[in-house]
Amino acid sequence: MKSFNGFKPLAMILPGLLLAMFIIGYPVLDLAHTSLQEVSRFGQLRGFTGLDNFAEVFADPLFWGSLERTAIWTVTVVGGTLIISLPIAIILNDDFYGRGIARVIIMLPWAISLTMTAVVWRWALNGRAGLLNATLMDMGLLAEPIEWLAEAQLAFTVEILIGILVSIPFTTTIFLGGLSSLPQDSYEASMVDGATRWDQFRHITLPLMKPFINIAIVLNVIYVFNSLPIIWVMTEGGPANGTDILVTYLYKLAFRFGQLGKASAISLIMFGVLLVFTIIYVALVMRGEKDSAAGEDA
Amino acid sequence: MTPAKKTTLAASALALSVMAGSAFAETTVDFTVAEYSSKTGPFFEEVAAAFEKENPDIDINIEVVPWDTLLQRLTTDIAGGAAPDISIIGTRWLLDFAEQGIAEPVDDYLTPEFKGTFIDTFMAPSVIDGKIMGLPVAASARAMLVNMDLFEQAGAKPPETWDELYDAAQKISALPDSYGFGLQGKEIETDAYFYYSLWTHGGDILNEDGTSGLASDAAIKSASLYKQMVDEGLTQPSPTNYSREDLFNLFKQGKVGMVFTFPMLIPQIQEEAPDLNYQVMPFPEESAKATYGVTDTLMLFADSDVKEEAWKFIEFAYKDEWRTKFDHGEGFLPVTKNVAAEDYYKTDKDIAGFAAGLPYAKFAPTIANWEEIADVTVRALQRVYLGQETPEEALTAAAAEINKIRGK
Amino acid sequence: MQPKLKKSLIYWAVLSPLVVVILFPFAVMFVTAVRPRDELFVYPPRWGFSEFRWDNFAEMWVKTNFGEALFNSLYVSVLSTALALVLSIPAAYALSRYRFPGKGAYRTFLLMTQMMSPIVLVLGLFRLMVALGMVNNLNSLVLTYAAFNMAFTIWMLQSYFSTIPRDLEEAAWIDGASHFTSLVRIFLPLAVPAMAVTAIFSFINGWNEFVLALTMIRSSDDFTLPVQIYSQVAGRYQVEWHHVMAGTVLATVPVAIVFSWLQKYLIRGMALGAVK
Repeated sequence: MKSFNGFKPLAMILPGLLLAMFIIGYPVLDLAHTSLQEVSRFGQLRGFTGLDNFAEVFADPLFWGSLERTAIWTVTVVGGTLIISLPIAIILNDDFYGRGIARVIIMLPWAISLTMTAVVWRWALNGRAGLLNATLMDMGLLAEPIEWLAEAQLAFTVEILIGILVSIPFTTTIFLGGLSSLPQDSYEASMVDGATRWDQFRHITLPLMKPFINIAIVLNVIYVFNSLPIIWVMTEGGPANGTDILVTYLYKLAFRFGQLGKASAISLIMFGVLLVFTIIYVALVMRGEKDSAAGEDA
Repeated sequence: MTPAKKTTLAASALALSVMAGSAFAETTVDFTVAEYSSKTGPFFEEVAAAFEKENPDIDINIEVVPWDTLLQRLTTDIAGGAAPDISIIGTRWLLDFAEQGIAEPVDDYLTPEFKGTFIDTFMAPSVIDGKIMGLPVAASARAMLVNMDLFEQAGAKPPETWDELYDAAQKISALPDSYGFGLQGKEIETDAYFYYSLWTHGGDILNEDGTSGLASDAAIKSASLYKQMVDEGLTQPSPTNYSREDLFNLFKQGKVGMVFTFPMLIPQIQEEAPDLNYQVMPFPEESAKATYGVTDTLMLFADSDVKEEAWKFIEFAYKDEWRTKFDHGEGFLPVTKNVAAEDYYKTDKDIAGFAAGLPYAKFAPTIANWEEIADVTVRALQRVYLGQETPEEALTAAAAEINKIRGK
Repeated sequence: MQPKLKKSLIYWAVLSPLVVVILFPFAVMFVTAVRPRDELFVYPPRWGFSEFRWDNFAEMWVKTNFGEALFNSLYVSVLSTALALVLSIPAAYALSRYRFPGKGAYRTFLLMTQMMSPIVLVLGLFRLMVALGMVNNLNSLVLTYAAFNMAFTIWMLQSYFSTIPRDLEEAAWIDGASHFTSLVRIFLPLAVPAMAVTAIFSFINGWNEFVLALTMIRSSDDFTLPVQIYSQVAGRYQVEWHHVMAGTVLATVPVAIVFSWLQKYLIRGMALGAVK
């Protein structure tokens, strides 16, 4: 199948493409349009103002603070998730007693909506009424209850850890899927050659898993970058904007202060940042990836 | 007339009557209800059902929306051209709605009798530029709740002035695992908690000329007092971790001696902490008596096609029987004179305690961009409580920012 | 000690910190859901409680209209998953098997559709749904979720499909089978693990999605579970935490069931073993 296949493939991608373009494309265009307008408090467009909204955004120190924190948030959550998920996936891929149960448990954080997860953790983290402090104190690990969410630094750290926790199931699933498709023969052959488990990992598993790791990175970066519920429910970006990331700041601008023009501008900036990241990443890292079956010589 | 003609005539008559019948098809009134508690939705459904019984050609479509998402929902609705006909809103938003032409003035709809049923203090915040832009639907005044058991244990007396409050807080905090004064430092109404002190120290949110009152002596004194109490351990630790709900939960646990709150806490205490020995008291004074009055407004949308029918429903919903049920059930103060005249509001000592503050209740100023201004205040206070800035620095900066927003 | 047993013990030891942290919130939820209301705020907070108030679940079910919300969530999740799969499978197949112009652009476009958070797009989406007359219609969510999920489902399926060797299909073509027959009878059965994972992802996204459901669905009868449960907490003066937690516990159960059922498709070698 190395030649041009006519219209069949296009027909195959078309319905999905149309749906995505329609449902997603329209709001994006709407957004771009709004960002260039002066917008009333409730979304009524009042006239073209060019790049005024963007200028306002770039002049706002809260924007830059949020941008910085967004970078920290994304890098730590995605990094932490990857480092934890790969070993977990390797373990879960292996045969051992209680594997089925272990798999279900690891997947559990995925079973609740992010909002509810954040609500439950906030309840558990309460300084005086929360069960986390009570448990840690009973176990003798804490002398005094810690007010986890009182200060930005600690609160942000807690939020990052929870962000990692809820990203593990998704990432582990991707890796498990990848691992389950790895060919057995390479392992068997390498064992005949005397390779250790670590060698196998470095030279067989990792390279073959690269496409999956890459997908995990790109998708996680996108989802985490845009993730609102955890930070919003736990601190609403406070105290004093100390845990605000771009998306929480944007939410406040749009729905509390009614500054929809500025909010639209920030949305586009966020999109731009992600786009640049993805293009660079795809170009640099994924360039080496071959489509195994499409149009290549076997 | 031939049989054929008769049939035709009958058929046409039937067709005509069907068409005429469909002229009386139902009009739908969309009503967005802000959710106060699990009782809110069922209550309004009941009102709607009763109304629909008397008016079978009008259908009331109730949408219950949680408060936290209400402004988001209304913004989206208006932006999308799908706004409801009536909605409950926070009165603090009313000016923005009015300025954007979203709210419909109701002076022309109000009969003098209907207008006369409202208590003036609560009607006033909904009046903008001399026009009534909505009807008060819920109201509360704030007061101080004290834990009498802790006071007895500490040998302190419930305070009437701020100095007395400071002393009492010291005594109670000396008890193990207890905190004298509960201070809210997180999320909605963190600024209100400060206003309670600001007003009773003689200050105000806005000066006469409309500039921010946050840089005044009274304001700095209030914030400094709070900060001092935090530093000396007279409040619960890390106030910035305590939202309004968290603080009240702590009070319900019996850990806090004094807290500023609303009447809706009373039913909660009765159900969740029945053994708590509490008492309702006015805010402590330093140079003025004050309390915070908060109202929510029932607003009619200017773009509504069914204003007549919507108003009919509004009049129905304000009947005494419904207002009584609503106010009692949710724990609000009455906005109508008839309900306020009930014995309940004199004999129930808790509600009477809150109602006693009404004569000197102050309200949030009806100004544009209130949410943004409140946010500036909250952030400034948080920086003070966290020790990142002195009260003077934080409040002066905040006042400047607010003046900028106000264009002054 | 048997090697498998030893291995199991080591693995569980390594996994246990994570397992504890994962199970902790569930324990909190459960313990809060079954206690009587006046024990919610005891001090100091404790795990123990006086009695199992299973009534809380029944009360919650009625009060929060749980049954209907559950049904709404199921409807939306299942249908959006089905729609996403139906549209994605041919697309992924095309991506993994064929070369065609615009392929790179298509893949980039798909990725770009993931980059916009629904929060940001909610105003535009709402306007779109108003224009389509689909506000307060659960089908608006079905379409929207399917559209947003598609990039991931296509990407995931395509990665899997690329690992399935073409030899089998080619053998079938040589034997005279049509492309379509070989697609359905040979390829698809091998692609089952891929489709299972993709189905999980899509189902869960639909099950847990919150912002769009909140915006599109107006009347509380049509709320999906996350919105219904959150509405018990958001902005109320009096939060009935025992009900909230009970609701969350129950909302997790169907998903846990789906997990247990589908996780067996992720067993090593299933994809390739069959080929051999």
